[in-house]
Amino acid sequence: MAILEALLIDLTLRVTDLQRLNAILGDPQTSALITGALVAFAAALPGTFLLLRKLAMTTDAISHTVLLGIVLAFLLLAALPGLEADLNSPWLILGAALAGVATVLLTGAIQRSGLVKEDAALGLVFPLLFAIAIILISRLTDDVHLDSDAVILGEIGVVWADARSHCLQDCDEVHITPDDPRAETGRRCTNCAELDIGPRDPAAEFEEYCVNCGRYTAAEAWRARLVSRAPTQVFWPRAITSMLLVALLNLAFILLFYKELKLGTFDPALAAALGLRPALLNTALMVLVSITAVAAFDAVGSVLVVAFFIIPPATAWLLSDRLAHILLLAPLGGVLASLTGYEFSRGNLLGIAQMRDLLLLLDKTIGLDGFIEWNTSISAAIVLMMFLFFLLAWVFSPRQGLLLSLLQHRARRQHFAEQLLLGHVHHHQGTAEAASELAQDRLHLHLGWTPRRTQRVLMRLRLRDLVASEDGALQLTARGERSVRRFMALRGAGGASPAGD
Amino acid sequence: MNQTPALHIEDLTVAFDSRPALWDVDLVVPEGVLMAVVGPNGAGKTTLVRAALDLIPRAAGSVRIFGESVARARGLTGYVPQRSSVDWDFPTTVQDVVMMGLYGRLGWLRRPGAAERLRTRQALEQIGIADLATRQISQLSGGQQQRTFLARALVQDARVYFMDEPFAAVDAITERAIVTLLQELRARGRTVVVVHHDLQSVPDYFDQVTLLNVEVIASGPTAEVYSEDNLRRTFGGRVAGIARLTEEALP
Repeated sequence: MAILEALLIDLTLRVTDLQRLNAILGDPQTSALITGALVAFAAALPGTFLLLRKLAMTTDAISHTVLLGIVLAFLLLAALPGLEADLNSPWLILGAALAGVATVLLTGAIQRSGLVKEDAALGLVFPLLFAIAIILISRLTDDVHLDSDAVILGEIGVVWADARSHCLQDCDEVHITPDDPRAETGRRCTNCAELDIGPRDPAAEFEEYCVNCGRYTAAEAWRARLVSRAPTQVFWPRAITSMLLVALLNLAFILLFYKELKLGTFDPALAAALGLRPALLNTALMVLVSITAVAAFDAVGSVLVVAFFIIPPATAWLLSDRLAHILLLAPLGGVLASLTGYEFSRGNLLGIAQMRDLLLLLDKTIGLDGFIEWNTSISAAIVLMMFLFFLLAWVFSPRQGLLLSLLQHRARRQHFAEQLLLGHVHHHQGTAEAASELAQDRLHLHLGWTPRRTQRVLMRLRLRDLVASEDGALQLTARGERSVRRFMALRGAGGASPAGD
Repeated sequence: MNQTPALHIEDLTVAFDSRPALWDVDLVVPEGVLMAVVGPNGAGKTTLVRAALDLIPRAAGSVRIFGESVARARGLTGYVPQRSSVDWDFPTTVQDVVMMGLYGRLGWLRRPGAAERLRTRQALEQIGIADLATRQISQLSGGQQQRTFLARALVQDARVYFMDEPFAAVDAITERAIVTLLQELRARGRTVVVVHHDLQSVPDYFDQVTLLNVEVIASGPTAEVYSEDNLRRTFGGRVAGIARLTEEALP
């Protein structure tokens, strides 16, 4: 991790200077923004396959049960001699991955046992594992910073605080020995404690010793004024590194095994028959989901992370029916939602200025104190924004959008009304009652429509040169005749039932 | 023709929990024949196919494909699962589904290239659905779905095919397309094992038939084993008009 961060720092310093980099990383808002975008990107990739496999709620289960893996790994580390139990240990990730896979296997086993139906198995397994984790946390790890609130909700706004320092310049450790010119000498009483006397007592004996001898890191040496130049340091938030690593891992996995994942999702039986091990790949996917959920813990918590896995792919699926496009759109949409969601958490809804006025008005009318300081949970705001995107996609989707289907429905109704009118004209023109049946001002009475509707339909037909009027009576044009015949032929073939009601 | 049978199953038993779905099945399918597997619901027809392909664990017995273990014969087998076994809302196209048949040959990590696209194109044309190539699969009719699956089996270029109910609920055009394909495959010396439900058409379409009801009741050339007596033993007399069926079918 540290090496990767050093590499990242080296890369970023080529495009910006040190001061600005530290300003960026030290700014809670910017690092929250970067982390949020990374979580969205990392989660949308495996999320797409989870959605296609109808495992959306499995994500929810995994994002909770990984906690048990973390806790067990932590306790195991604490119990083993020679290993340091710390919350950044990579062993915890392994524990989480195992817990994630265990959740899936256990759920499958309970499903197969037939004791409960499908989704109930999930509802049985995940609260159980989560409950064990919570009990272990509250009972056994009193002195550790691992509280359940943080796990459930997360707070992306504080990821900057957990940073690792990287020293770039003037980093030498300082070792002060007694003969160093910087060494300070002091005197201390050697027998005061023993004889229970004060230093002023004549019996007191003294020796000289070095007050500030020892080893100093560069930063400590600077603080103790032992060196004249401050070390050049970068404080890199750990969450950014781990999220970036997970995002790259997920991306690599999906790029490498795209074909195998696709077939294993669409038709696992064929994948198995072709020797492509869909079960193994499924386990690998669950491991990645677990790792992603763990990495996203600090930032978004275990509840909202599900949204990062599921909503962007679901949105992308509304917009495209090609897997490759969905895999491209989902992470992009996720990142966009986290950027705009971050802004939303500060009261800026997609740059709409009135939002602020609206809030002000709300504040005045309902008297919500401080509501105007619209400063809410960033991750919650991101999730809301993801949902907003989903709604927009649903309304405007070119595939199955609400708007599209309304328009299509309307078009079908209009078409049918037009054909009805044309049919009426076709039926009566040239007959004895033509004059009364086809008189423009009486037409609506025969059709049983309102005059306005009749006029509208007539106008459309005239515009397309399908009917013409002669002495106030309607007549089909040549095009109108053809249109009627086409429609009749379709109806005869059973093709066009009155679909437009 | 090769002396080694295309499929050789010995003493195969498959059980779910401890309820046997297949019991002590012995079956030999010679190379180059079209064989129907017929039996009542729950007879283990699909289980037989899945066990032959090593997709489910066996309680006992062995399966040999051209004398090899199933794992070693992966490149020789083609599989057409039941149409209903997949989700047709999956975001992909007809040509993409057909190309999936080549994934086994490609192996891990390699991507389909120009050769695979050409092969896919040919299969689509052969099955007569080239015009559907870029169609989203959710927009297909049942028959078109089945033909997509057949094109996918075709690109696998296998020596022995296993097809699970390809004739189930398809239109007449598709039924003819399947029959033509089966005959073409046989002409090229391929072996095809088909799980079939339409008792009427068995003598017309298949050289050999296996009557299955957990155990193998009879297996061999259609003319020899497709008798009223065997059908009654398979279906337990539950199929109306069995006598009429075999009288009509067998001169």
